[in-house]
Amino acid sequence: MTELDERLARAVRAAYERTPPLDPTARERILDALRAEASPGPGMRSFGWLLRPRTLRLAPLAGVMAALALVLAGSFAGWVSRDRMREATPDSYLVDRGAAPGRVVEFVLVAPNAARVALVGDFNGWDIEAAPMRRVNAGDTWRIAVPLAEGRHVYAFVVDGSRWLADPAAPLAPEDGFGYRNSVVVVARPEPT
Amino acid sequence: MTDAALVARVLGGEREVFSALVERYSDPCTRFAQRLLGNRQDAEDAAQETFLRAYRALGRYHEQDTFRAWLYRILVNQCRSLARRRARYQRRVTSDGLAVERATAPSLEHAGDVRDALQHALDRLEPLLREAFLLKYGEGLDYGAMAEITGSGVSALKMRVKRACDALRPELEEIFHD
Repeated sequence: MTELDERLARAVRAAYERTPPLDPTARERILDALRAEASPGPGMRSFGWLLRPRTLRLAPLAGVMAALALVLAGSFAGWVSRDRMREATPDSYLVDRGAAPGRVVEFVLVAPNAARVALVGDFNGWDIEAAPMRRVNAGDTWRIAVPLAEGRHVYAFVVDGSRWLADPAAPLAPEDGFGYRNSVVVVARPEPT
Repeated sequence: MTDAALVARVLGGEREVFSALVERYSDPCTRFAQRLLGNRQDAEDAAQETFLRAYRALGRYHEQDTFRAWLYRILVNQCRSLARRRARYQRRVTSDGLAVERATAPSLEHAGDVRDALQHALDRLEPLLREAFLLKYGEGLDYGAMAEITGSGVSALKMRVKRACDALRPELEEIFHD
């Protein structure tokens, strides 16, 4: 006999179904852990463009780099030069050495055909309603200024509610294993002089 | 709403809709993990890790697979990882010269652990046999679905189920005698 007879199979199944269910606090822990997660990206199977953003109309490179820089509201001592941004690698970060805790950082994106753009990141729970960007002078540029705590932050832009875009000018966070890239900004403590 | 429809909504930006999938599958997943791992705490950890990984990888779910099979594949792998970690711990305990009894106990007892006669019988099976037995007789899956979930071939799975049944039958007969 290779398998259980029907009577035994039914008895096993009945005992199995009597296994106590998850208690509510354990389920709540699962939901809490999920809430702390970034939104799942649309996924490589249908959004290959994620790896090469196509929504930007790139003006001459110099102009674009300027527009895409992270700009600080306030004093700019020691902020990153354009050359450093161009050679950014996945494990380096844009660092503003002049930043103080609670620094306001301005994010800028050139996206002329977008109807709406949101800034999402670990500082706002990846919530696309939290930081809608404003189109500047009805033109191609979108911007928002947000206060960021000291430290490393991961962020991206969401265009028209569903198209995710890493900041083309910023270093990328290490690939998360599922084809989705975010950008990184580090707001550093000022170095002692 | 079907699993696939819920997944599409989550990927469309409605993150909180994933909780509906958690509602649907957290009990079945924990139940399977409890019976496989023999203790509730590990089962809850495996279930939590399963949902986190499923959420992160949701963009890779293809509608051709059933969501349940896709989810259970993650669950089975999480249970295997947990069991390996626990086995490493037990091996260290043994090599420290502590009581052999503790090292061979299937799990430390915790409040809420299922310690019925079925579990006692299951605990004596090798993990892969237990896994196959539970997928077939606990979850009621056919061999095709089991193959999808475990990545093993149907004939290997049939052999595991046979060996599990042969090992368990006497004890099950005794537990469930009329």
